Order: sequence, then C-alpha cells, then structure tokens
Amino acid sequence: MAKEIFIGEIVSNEEIQKEFFLMKVKLDLSFDDPQPGQFIMIRIAGLNDPFLSRPISIYSFSRGKNYCTIELLYRVAGKGTRVLAGLIKSSQVEINGPLGGSFEIKADKKQIIFIAGGIGIAPLSLLAKQLYRSGCSSKESMSFYLGAKTADAIVGLDKLQKLCYNINVRTDDGSFGRKGLVTEAFQKDMKKYSATDTMIYACGPKAMVKALSKILTGTKFHCQASLEERMACGTGACVGCAVGIKDNKGNLTYKRVCADGPVFDIRQIVWE
Amino acid sequence: MKKNVNLAVAIGSLKIKNPVMTASGTFGYGEEYAGYVDLNKLGAIVVKGLSLKPRLGNPPPRIMETAGGMLNAVGLQNIGVEAFIKEKLPYLKNFDVAVIANIYGETYAEYSKVAARLSSVKGLHALEVNVSCPNVQKGGLSFGCDPRAAAEVTRRVKGETSLPVIVKLTPNVTDIAVIAAAVEKAGADAVSLINTLTGMSVDLKTRTPHLKNITGGLSGPAIKPVALRMVWQVVQRVSIPVIGIGGIMTPEDALEFLIAGAKAVQIGTANFINPRATMDVIDGITNYLMENKIRDIKDVIGTLRT
Ligand SMILES: Cc1cc2nc3c(=O)[nH]c(=O)nc-3n(C[C@H](O)[C@H](O)[C@H](O)COP(=O)(O)OP(=O)(O)OC[C@H]3O[C@@H](n4cnc5c(N)ncnc54)[C@H](O)[C@@H]3O)c2cc1C
Ligand SMILES: Cc1cc2nc3c(=O)[nH]c(=O)nc-3n(C[C@H](O)[C@H](O)[C@H](O)COP(=O)(O)O)c2cc1C
Ligand code: FES
Repeated sequence: MAKEIFIGEIVSNEEIQKEFFLMKVKLDLSFDDPQPGQFIMIRIAGLNDPFLSRPISIYSFSRGKNYCTIELLYRVAGKGTRVLAGLIKSSQVEINGPLGGSFEIKADKKQIIFIAGGIGIAPLSLLAKQLYRSGCSSKESMSFYLGAKTADAIVGLDKLQKLCYNINVRTDDGSFGRKGLVTEAFQKDMKKYSATDTMIYACGPKAMVKALSKILTGTKFHCQASLEERMACGTGACVGCAVGIKDNKGNLTYKRVCADGPVFDIRQIVWE
Repeated sequence: MKKNVNLAVAIGSLKIKNPVMTASGTFGYGEEYAGYVDLNKLGAIVVKGLSLKPRLGNPPPRIMETAGGMLNAVGLQNIGVEAFIKEKLPYLKNFDVAVIANIYGETYAEYSKVAARLSSVKGLHALEVNVSCPNVQKGGLSFGCDPRAAAEVTRRVKGETSLPVIVKLTPNVTDIAVIAAAVEKAGADAVSLINTLTGMSVDLKTRTPHLKNITGGLSGPAIKPVALRMVWQVVQRVSIPVIGIGGIMTPEDALEFLIAGAKAVQIGTANFINPRATMDVIDGITNYLMENKIRDIKDVIGTLRT
C-alpha cells in the first residue's frame, strides 16, 4: 500500500473556545478512511522551528466526491499547536496518516462507557459516532464521563449529546458539571454496570488514565486507553514514543505509542 | 533523461547505485518506510543498531524537540541480532538494495560475536560499527572516544568478517580525525560520521530534564555545520572512503557533504518529518548534475575549493 505525505488545505480553523481550536482540512481522496483512535502527524512545510510534526487525533472524517475532509480538535499546548492556531483558511499543512491502531470494537458488550479528560474527547467522539452509526450501540447504551480543569476546557459536548444518553461532566473547580475528578464520577457509578457486559474506552492525561487503571484493578471491566507520548516520526521508526507495557509473561517492554498503540489494554500499561 | 548521469559510488568493495543511505535508528528495519519510498531506489539501508541480546532501551520520555533538531535517548532499544536475522532480514532480501547492519556492543567480545553472527548469514552487504552511542550508561567513555579502544573494536570486527567494515564515529571527542586515523590503521574499510552530539534540555515548569536519561543525542539540521566540518577534517586525514551524516534535509545539504569529500551520505532525522527525504535528495542530486552538465557524481565528490 503506497503511503504519502498529504498536502492538506485548511477549510477553516476556528477558536471554538479560548485556546481550543477546530481545524477542518481538505485532503486528497487517496487518504484512507480513518478508524477511531487513529491520528495524523501534522506540520507546516519548510519550518525548522517547530521542527517535528505533531500528533493529533482524527476528530471527524467525511469522504466527498472530490476530496476528503478531516476535523482536528486541538488545544494550544505549546509552540507547535500555537503555530497551527495561527493558520488561516487556504493555508497548507503537511499531513501523514491515518497512523496507528484503533480502538477495538467489541460487539458483545451491551454497555459502552467513555472516559475522557479534556482534549481526550477527540478520538472518543469519533468512536461514539461510529458505534452509533454502525448500529453497534444505541444512544441508551453509551455513557460518557468527561472531565476537565475548568468550564473553559470543556469542548465538543454538543456533538456528544446527540450520541450518548448519559453524560457526566466533572471539573476540578466545579465551574461546569459537578466538582471533582472524572474518574471519581465513574467510580461512584461503577456498581451500576455489569463488568463483563461493559466496554470502557478512555483517553486523557496520564494522571487520569493512571487513576482509572487503579480503580479498575481487581475488577473484570475491560478497558482500552489511548496514550500520549512525544513523537518524532509517528510511523514506528525512531522508537522515541516508548511506553512501558507488560508482555504476556508480565515483563516490562517498551512499546511504541505511534505504531503499537496509541490504544492499549489498560491492564498492560506499566506506571512508573 | 536521468540515465545520463552516473550516481554509482564504491565504499571499498561495496558498490552502491547512488550515494544516499538511510542513517541507523532513523529508518527502522526498512519496513516502516516501505510504503512511502521504493526501497530499491536507495543507495543502501542502514538498519537500527543491533546488539547480541535484545535491549530494553531507556525509560521514557526519550525524545525532545530542540531548535532545528531533536534530542533522543532511545538507549539502543533493539530486537537483538537473532530476531533481526529471523524476522527482519528476510523481508529486506526482497529488495535490490544494499543492506548494512549497524552493530553495537558493550565489550570487545560482544562486538566480535555480533559481527561473526551477521557474517554467517546471506543478505547483508556491509557492517557499520557504532563505537559512539553516548546514551547508554556503561561505566565511563564510549569506545569511540579513545583511539586505542576504537582501533581494537575495528580489529576484532575485521577479524570476524569478510564484509566491508564501516566504523561510525562519535563527534563527542576533541579531535575526530585522530580516531578516524586510528580505525583506518586498524583495518576499517570506511568511516561514517557523525553520530549524535550529546546535549540536554530542561523543563522550566518542573525544573527537570526533558529526557528521563537527562542527556540525549542531538540530531537534525542544527548539527549540520559541525558534521560538515568534521567530515572535511577526516577526509583530509584518511584515505579510506568517508560517509557524511548529520542534519541532511535537502539535496543541497547532501551536495555540501559530497563536495567536502564524502563519498556517500546518510539521511537520518529528515526521514521523520519527510518520509520521502531520501528520494527527494536522490532526485535533487540528479538534477544538480544535469543542470551543471556533470556526467558522474565522482566529479563532484571532493571538489571543494579552498
Ligand atoms: C496519538 C496522539 C493523539 C493526540 N491527539 C490530540 C488531539 O486530538 N488534540 C490535541 O489538542 N492534542 C492531541 N495530542 C497531544 C498533542 O500532540 C500535543 O499537545 C502537542 O504535540 C503539543 O505540541 P506543542 O508544540 O504545542 O507543545 P510543546 O511545547 O511541545 O509541549 C507543551 C506540553 O505538551 C506536552 N506534549 C508535547 N507533545 C506531546 C504529545 N505528543 N503528547 C502529549 N503531550 C505532549 C509537553 O510535554 C508539554 O507539557 C495527541 C497526542 C498523541 C500522542
Ligand atoms: C532516534 C534516533 C536513533 C538513532 N539510533 C542510532 C543507532 O542505533 N545506531 C547508530 O549508529 N546511530 C543512531 N542514530 C544516529 C543517526 O544514525 C545519525 O548518525 C544522527 O542522527 C545524525 O544524523 P541526522 O542529523 O541526519 O539525524 C540515531 C539517531 C536518532 C535520531
Ligand atoms: S514516534 Fe517514532 S516510533 Fe513512535
């Protein structure tokens, strides 16, 4: 399968909330249909600073007659994302993707739970949409737990409301939803769900995924978590994006978030 | 039209169709980029550094972007020589391209063993001996910092193989030409340089190093002028072929190294941001030759006027 670096044309790049942007990019039809959890590496051609491409999840995708469109939902975290935020309509970006593996869809699970921290909502949103559209899961069977520091960091909720019946929001300061951690919200509800009939999908900051992994220890819940690590190549060549993962003998190995992940079984993640 | 120019070069007894190779550790085992580039078109593929036993590598975070480059402390994570032979080499044999195994050891004996094992299989065209990795914390200096140790590694490897031996030098020394001369005397068929320059970077928020390993190897365009200077110094000192590495992003960068006297170049970090960098460099060199009505790349190599 021939792969290429796509030259994407920005259709829009709006600040939907302070420091949060939604970028719509037009791509050639040869761009593969992305699976939920997959990401792209994005970069501005010719720039030496920031030098490396940045990994961003695919938030939505549509295939038209003459071109494909992807949407990226991103937070301005530093230099690279700030440069992206400054791009105007019709600017060009270099895009490599879709990259990485995707969330595994388990048709036998009756209950679907999403747990997202902040911008972690992006890949989970695409997943929820796909589950809903494909008829795998009904609105009633999908619950979304979303957490963020403050109300300012809650994005993408409107879209979810059309897909999930039950949405729980937590903020650290109580400025939106209830005050507290998203993992605590899930923990409180945990007994309502049958562990063997439930599939949990998580994406968020390391601290959130780690807390969730603790909560799930000793339970029978199956949980897949999407991890983040700094990346250089995004294609598995540099081994820079390593994360500690237990192999089947329980020994520590380092796996590549870009090529072996970004989605891992939460029980296999080694927390250091 | 492109047939009018000759890009073929020889690195000792190793003949390659053009002077553009991939740099070790930046192109995986070839597979990772096979979808993006036609591997048959490369001068050579240098695979990720191999050790006798699989190596876990350093704990994360392992990389950090810097101005015009990046730091890495991967710690030579690799699948080990046996898994390479079983799982990776058969795939590479499908291509009409020179495959160079980059090898690494922690003792002289280990270098010997890896070299011997790789020489017993078909499908490899040369060995590149990494005497320079600054990342792995193994009591003191790397072999590449001491002319005697570098020469001894070279002798040991030469003793185990009939493949051409390229010794890859570290820039983290006072005078790289001294090391180059020492390995030439010990029998090296070629030298390649430079490996990464040791560097570091600090997170202001946490006041901790960005890399778990504290220090890492700097690569990318930021190191190109240093690499070029070192290649120039080594070319003047040795008579074996020199392979230039360091920050090559464009055909123009590659040509600078060739003009300075490198017989071939390797492309590393550039692959990360442009998986087709090697192809772009080959095409650009071809165009340069055509534009300047030069028939053979050999008429460019080592033509620096000073
Ligand atoms: C598979 C994957 C999918 C991602 N999807 C999205 C997304 O949909 N939307 C979004 O806003 N962000 C996403 N990220 C995170 C995004 O890549 C980083 O925020 C971005 O690279 C930061 O670059 P910067 O130059 O703006 O910040 P920098 O100045 O490089 O860093 C700012 C802060 O972000 C941290 N950081 C840097 N790179 C990463 C990284 N790759 N992953 C996590 N933290 C990082 C740094 O350690 C630092 O604390 C994703 C990351 C991965 C690995
Ligand atoms: C992520 C990474 C891994 C590397 N691994 C190896 C290695 O295993 N063996 C080796 O000899 N050099 C290794 N190198 C060094 C490169 O081969 C090359 O010498 C160096 O990066 C300078 O070239 P560049 O600026 O084009 O990247 C590595 C470099 C990077 C960036
Ligand atoms: S970013 Fe290079 S291996 Fe994952």
